[in-house]
Amino acid sequence: MVSKEEIEHIAKLMRIEIDDHIVHIDRVQKIISYFDILDKANVESEELDVKEQTIEELRDDKYIPYDEKLIQGLKNYKGSYIRAPKMS
Amino acid sequence: MNLRISALKYVEEIKNGNITTEEFISKTIERIQKVDSKLHAYLSLNDKAIEQARVVDKKIKSKDGGACMGMPISIKDNICVKGTKTTCASKMLENFVSPYDATVVSRLKEQDAIIVGKTNLDEFAMGFTTEFSAFGPSKNPWNTEYVPGGSSGGSAVAVSALECIASLGSDTGGSVRNPASFCSIVGLKPTYGLISRYGLISYSNSIEQIGPMARTVEDVAFMLNIIAGIDSHDNTTVDNQKQDYLKEIDAGVNGKKIGIIKEMTQEGVDKQVSSATNKAISNFEKLGASIEEISLDMVKYSVAAYYTITATEAGSNLARYDNLRYGYDFDLEGYEFNSYISKARRNFGPEVTRRMILGGFVPSAGHAGRYFLKAMKVKSKLTSEINEALKKVDMLLSPTVPVLPFKFGEKIDDPIALFLVDINTVTANLTGKPAISVPFEISNGLPIGIQLLGKPLHDKQLLQAAYALQNTVKLPEVPI
Repeated sequence: MVSKEEIEHIAKLMRIEIDDHIVHIDRVQKIISYFDILDKANVESEELDVKEQTIEELRDDKYIPYDEKLIQGLKNYKGSYIRAPKMS
Repeated sequence: MNLRISALKYVEEIKNGNITTEEFISKTIERIQKVDSKLHAYLSLNDKAIEQARVVDKKIKSKDGGACMGMPISIKDNICVKGTKTTCASKMLENFVSPYDATVVSRLKEQDAIIVGKTNLDEFAMGFTTEFSAFGPSKNPWNTEYVPGGSSGGSAVAVSALECIASLGSDTGGSVRNPASFCSIVGLKPTYGLISRYGLISYSNSIEQIGPMARTVEDVAFMLNIIAGIDSHDNTTVDNQKQDYLKEIDAGVNGKKIGIIKEMTQEGVDKQVSSATNKAISNFEKLGASIEEISLDMVKYSVAAYYTITATEAGSNLARYDNLRYGYDFDLEGYEFNSYISKARRNFGPEVTRRMILGGFVPSAGHAGRYFLKAMKVKSKLTSEINEALKKVDMLLSPTVPVLPFKFGEKIDDPIALFLVDINTVTANLTGKPAISVPFEISNGLPIGIQLLGKPLHDKQLLQAAYALQNTVKLPEVPI
């Protein structure tokens, strides 16, 4: 069983504030316990399904200018940068 | 005017001059105004719809109308329609206006479809009932005390309750097929790559697809003809050679082999659903198909693998909601970077918050081997199993959902019970195969759908079989 502290730690790393322990921690713990069923699948020796693609199949490495309007639509857009809160 | 007509019949009526686009769109809007306060299929409506209909009528008069001829179509609110809100039923995007059209939307508009509105969903398409919509659930038109299924619940309700002719949903683990089944309409999750995802707000990119929803199989084929095919904006799309999915839709199933997936038809299946499934099998036999039982051992683990993989991708996709690029207007002053983002993310609902935490956990150092990697291996083995099965048979059959539609609140507090609702649908997503839900029975007033799953890029053959099955039953009309 994964500890509640560990889930809280991950939540913090994901920048999630926990305001309801039953909804956010207990249920996540219950879901992770359910995922333990994967241990029974006996797939250790299974190869991962990898899709191969040759370089010829990829699109051309062409410069496509981005749409300035998309950037201008952002909040706190200051002409050449986006304002964000201070990093501590 | 009959709002129940199919897309194909609509086009015929318009061409014959029996109705005009403006009349039909006006009637549809009247219908929405009449029933949607009870059903809540829509999150927003297009207030220029009638104006746009007049323009289409002019084009039709000068013999210049596109294939959709002004047909009213709704779009799930996680697909971008330029200049309109795309909320994903989340407070985080409550005021987000799409800066461009999704490829599917521009293709519909090019063919003169009228987008009448944006439909409700579980927040960020994470859920199976629409109960996780930040703006309140949609109601099942067959019985408003019951969930309509989800996450594309609003789309299914709108189609079922005659609030549009067809709709587009998105399907990550059954989100088109599940509500189609619960609301007694047709829903297709096409082969991965058949429909462009450009303009679909990402949840789990490696397995999700946009899918058409309509009242008949032919209408789904009609929609697919318009929206499918290669798109330079989405490198995962495949060239379908402009296949015509409507042509030969009545080819039948004589001589076809249909596999019955043992793990999806026996344990945990409601009695009524099981009996409907047996009837569907026998109807296929009468049409000349042969039946064989198929076992897919990995299905038992598919739901856990599905949630592990989707949470991982969702954790990464949701990281963009940092309130700097999207989100609320609240002042930066007084906040440190991390606390500012955390505060904004309190506006995610409970399911999205849980998936974000899970998405951080399952692929993290120390846990990836046990969860994410194993899930990927289950996906890989499931794909081999199903590929083997599809060498023996042409397609696979199961009920779309193992249980009947249920009441609001019945499963919302038990995440595992809710997860298991999609045990029959996630396989098609994990393996990239096409799958369709066909309405088959109404049991004590509640719809049951049958799922057919086919070979990749055999969406046409799947539609042919679905059409044959559809024509073996005559279902009652929706009681609203």
